[in-house]
Amino acid sequence: MELCHAVLTSLLHGPALDHWTLPNGVRCVAAEMPEAPLTCLDLWCRAGSFTEAAGEEGMAHFLEHMVFKGSERLEAGAFDLAIEALGGSSNAATGFDDVHFHVLIPPETSQQALDLLLDLVLHPALEQESFRLEREVVLEEMAQYADQPDELVLQQLLKQGCPDHPYGRPILGERSSLLAMDPEAMRTFHQRRYRGHHCCLAISGPKARELRATVESSALAQLPPDPQPSADAINQVEPRGLRLQPGRHTMELARLESARLLMLWSGSTAHDQAWVMGADLATTLLGEGRRSRLVAQLREELRIAESVDMDLSVLEQGCLMTLEISCEPEDLEQVEATVHEQLNQAAPFTAEELARGRQLVGNGLRYSLESVGQVAAQAASQMLWNRPQELLQPLQHLQAWTEERLSEDLMPLLQPSRACSLIATPAGQR
Amino acid sequence: MAIPDLIVDRIATPGVMAAKLLLPWGSATDGVGQRGAHQLLAATLSRGCGPFDHRQLADLVEGRGAGLRSDAHEDGLLISLRCTTEDAQELMPLLDWMVTAPHLATEQLELERSLSLQALQRQREDPFHLAIDQWRQLVYGSTGYGHDPLGVSDDLQRLDETVLQTLARQLTTGRSVLAISGTWPSSLDDTLLKRTGEGWQDTTDAPPPPPMHWMSNGDGDLVMQSIDTEQVVLMLGQPCCAYGHPDDLALRLLQCHLGSGMSSLLFRRLREDHGVAYDVGAHHPARAGAAPFVLHASSSAERAELTLSLLHQSWHELSSQPLSEADLTLARAKFRGQVAHGRQTCSQRAERAAHRRGLGLSDDHDHRCLERMESLQPQELMEAAQRWLQTPHLSLCGPADALKRLEDHWRQLQSSAATGSS
Repeated sequence: MELCHAVLTSLLHGPALDHWTLPNGVRCVAAEMPEAPLTCLDLWCRAGSFTEAAGEEGMAHFLEHMVFKGSERLEAGAFDLAIEALGGSSNAATGFDDVHFHVLIPPETSQQALDLLLDLVLHPALEQESFRLEREVVLEEMAQYADQPDELVLQQLLKQGCPDHPYGRPILGERSSLLAMDPEAMRTFHQRRYRGHHCCLAISGPKARELRATVESSALAQLPPDPQPSADAINQVEPRGLRLQPGRHTMELARLESARLLMLWSGSTAHDQAWVMGADLATTLLGEGRRSRLVAQLREELRIAESVDMDLSVLEQGCLMTLEISCEPEDLEQVEATVHEQLNQAAPFTAEELARGRQLVGNGLRYSLESVGQVAAQAASQMLWNRPQELLQPLQHLQAWTEERLSEDLMPLLQPSRACSLIATPAGQR
Repeated sequence: MAIPDLIVDRIATPGVMAAKLLLPWGSATDGVGQRGAHQLLAATLSRGCGPFDHRQLADLVEGRGAGLRSDAHEDGLLISLRCTTEDAQELMPLLDWMVTAPHLATEQLELERSLSLQALQRQREDPFHLAIDQWRQLVYGSTGYGHDPLGVSDDLQRLDETVLQTLARQLTTGRSVLAISGTWPSSLDDTLLKRTGEGWQDTTDAPPPPPMHWMSNGDGDLVMQSIDTEQVVLMLGQPCCAYGHPDDLALRLLQCHLGSGMSSLLFRRLREDHGVAYDVGAHHPARAGAAPFVLHASSSAERAELTLSLLHQSWHELSSQPLSEADLTLARAKFRGQVAHGRQTCSQRAERAAHRRGLGLSDDHDHRCLERMESLQPQELMEAAQRWLQTPHLSLCGPADALKRLEDHWRQLQSSAATGSS
């Protein structure tokens, strides 16, 4: 079997994981990384923008901000001060499906940091004055994004492609929705989403497993469980399948300096790990590196594109694949025609292409195992969504994706007719 | 022999390694009318070298799932390789060939020139980039730090191929550093030990010294650009000393105090106390010459005046009042944390090692800083600020009407600072 020796060898490496679940449903995972200079504590919750009800648009992200404004025990700023005084750092991120709060900390202080992190996230104070002030910060964040043409174009693509789905909404919400919120509504959201079965804690670094006892007697163990943790609720949020709306749209933007062609496709859900690896492979073969098909054709040979990026977003309600090309406005027509030609009449991938793609995907995962932050994030996101597995386990699916199977099962999904396309041009140039 | 200094850092990894070859020819050494030449050269080095043309090289690197980049930054040209342990022996010779035997094929050079020009055009979409770019031009003028490493469109368009060939030959001169970190087969140790330096020139040529002195280009202390945005981007700062200068550590601690983390002064003051900005910070990169020390924030047009006042206040406090013991202790902890955060991957470790050596610092420089930091006192930090942070220059990008108000406000603030009133 030709499968890259690196991929096979890499299966031998990667930090060993310990998975366990607390009685209240909280999932935990520890990754032992004895040589790491830092420990990462990463608390994930199924409380992304997808979980917002009507009138809550933007609340998941706003709550992520408010968490750092203090807890019942910690004054505003006390957490940051304590973590940073220990030589650590902290941050958080809100996605469509989930939100996570992470701390990077010297290993010897990880118990103390864990206590602080759990208190902050599980018992936010949500005080009125802090709420009012932090809303101003989020409005500034919105304004900052509004000044970045790349962000506007991508948001417009999602809106057009997922018009009836939360993935089509901005995670930050709208100005009007934010202005209508109050702390009580946010507390209701917190109490609804931050429950045992919705949470996962990952620990990576030296002696990560030794924190298990601390976790089991921590505030995490006191978190109320989901009142009715059905199998569906555990495996998925309220199922609302993503149906992408194909079409072709145009927009003009005053501050755009070059034109963009964006295309969006949907695919299977994150739970379908075999499909995810196939999609990762296909998008890599099409858009990663100078020898990938689209880069080779558009940038290297025809020289009509400045950049070609193809990404796979692994999402619980349906993965999204995006293609973004930047070019001169006068080349847009040829760029679009060439992309359509490449996707419509794609010859099957060759054995050499497949080997290259497997190496790129496999090694990408392997490189990510060096950092405690990336290890914790990967382990937690899988465990949170009930897919406990070793970090390199997904690579085993790569072998099943042959040239023929990619042609038959994946490339048809990437037909231009199935895409939502957006052409963005500098105002007055189209 | 100008063979690169070798630094090896063998550590346990998931079977990966990183190599960094740092050459002392960065964008600061771009000649007059050649701004962007070293970045264009760097980009073209990865498009064919030694026995491989551009396609063969891409096939080899991507076929191994490796990463190979070549970029010019202000003080050097950095070639970076990331690969698995088992591919190290095969891929490592590429670094040498890219410098000693680059192809620089005309059609590949023209492709990179076109990509650079388009990238420069696209950079203009980002208000933060516009603001830092014009700040750089205001304070550094035509000196080596006065332009983005990517260059300037007019110069790039005119750059002659023979200029790049001359610059390419120059890459084999001067003191360069090869740092590798991670896990690799012992056979690579033998290869590295047996390096002959073939292709590297045995000369005493060295790049010109980095820009140590700076002066405003005569347009005053303010530069503005009107753009149709919701926010105004504000950048306030001045060039100061080189990395490794006796005052550098004090300034790095001040940077930690101002802009590192959510407990930093700017974060607390602008974001938590007043809610006027989302993204705030202090930019102070390590440079061989006069490094910028810049505070930055972006605010909605109607709140930008308050933001400017707060940045101005924060700036002047550095040289007018000593940090409290608690603030200094916190800044020290952050500095220690930054060192640990920067040692997580073999790529980070190799790059740090190469930069230290490239700047002429000892390999234990970070350790020495950690020791010395403990004895630095608040008064010494304030005195360093008094020496280096007395002449702030402001860059603004945003809506025209807001800029007009901010210009007036800036004059008032500067006038008050000059007379000592608050």
